[in-house]
Amino acid sequence: MLLSSVILVLQETLEAALLVSLLLAASQQLSHKMSWVIYAIGGGLAFSLVYALEIGHVSEWFEYTGQEIVNASLQISVTLLIAICTWVLVRGWTPENRQRAGFRSSLFTQLAAATVMLAITREGSEVLIYLIGFYPIKDVFHTVTVGSFIGLGIGISVGVLIYFGIMGLQGRWQKNTMVSLLALFSGKMVSQASLQLNQADWIPSTPVGWDSSSLLSEESLTGKLLYALIGYEATPALAQIAAYAAGVILILITAIIASRVQAESRSASV
Amino acid sequence: MKLQAHIKLLLRWCVLLGMGCQSVAAATPVIEIEIRDHLFFPSEVDVPANTKVKLLIINRDPTPEEFESYPLNREKVISGNSKAVIFIGPVKAGDYPFIGEFYPTTAQGVIRVR
Repeated sequence: MLLSSVILVLQETLEAALLVSLLLAASQQLSHKMSWVIYAIGGGLAFSLVYALEIGHVSEWFEYTGQEIVNASLQISVTLLIAICTWVLVRGWTPENRQRAGFRSSLFTQLAAATVMLAITREGSEVLIYLIGFYPIKDVFHTVTVGSFIGLGIGISVGVLIYFGIMGLQGRWQKNTMVSLLALFSGKMVSQASLQLNQADWIPSTPVGWDSSSLLSEESLTGKLLYALIGYEATPALAQIAAYAAGVILILITAIIASRVQAESRSASV
Repeated sequence: MKLQAHIKLLLRWCVLLGMGCQSVAAATPVIEIEIRDHLFFPSEVDVPANTKVKLLIINRDPTPEEFESYPLNREKVISGNSKAVIFIGPVKAGDYPFIGEFYPTTAQGVIRVR
């Protein structure tokens, strides 16, 4: 029970920690502000508690597929917010750029806070449902709580490492790493949303694109961690692969257009 | 003009896809699985190959469970004393294991696609 709770919570925490550390590094770069993250995580946890407590009702919506529809909506919203964050990040990388673009200094932190809040609402609810479910069984609850804190601790540590890893990079490298990681995160979100919609029978099933379960099983620890970080699936459906690609391309194109617009406005003002 | 032709083609595809989904939905077999004392009943389910199936999972335990099947890419939380619907397939013949992620040591089962 201890190990399974460590892994379950670690998986959810890693997903959130990656996004938080990326956006935190970006906001530190843009405005030297970090306090937003406390409100965003707090708000996200509050929403996830509401979602966890109401999961029984939500599940009954749309002929018992409400959970899938709500999750997919959250994932698509997070993706769109990441795209807007990417635009603001690339377009307003330096103070002069931000001034030229007319961005308020708090714009990025507000967007980042909304993104983190929505992402944590979904991921946090799963952990809370798990913990609330074990609460009545005192012995098990104790073990599960200890396991959850270990998982949470490891997840946060990895997030801190990612944050300092990104902060250690310089200039263009730093910006490109942030954009690439945001693109992978967005790919994972859209891929998971397509899976949810397929599970609810809103989009048709497609054949499996590849089977790498013999190389790296999704059930192995490495497989689970890779799933949390980049959305690794051993047997993804073709629709899922297409959705992943769409999520990645959305962010990359947003970054390319933002950087072109930024360059044009600079040359126009010179 | 060219754009209009593209949009028309896209709409035609959507309609075809919609019709396809509806005709399949009308004949979707429903399979019931119960969760009792952190065990699945039945723990082995036979499902026809290349057919979409609706799993109706009824959790009789007061505690929540998470249905998870890695090979089928399925994952869903089911609250205590409630039911959930999960669509699977169409998939090829084979054995597709599933677990209850909250009680993975006891809640285990397999979907046999034939």
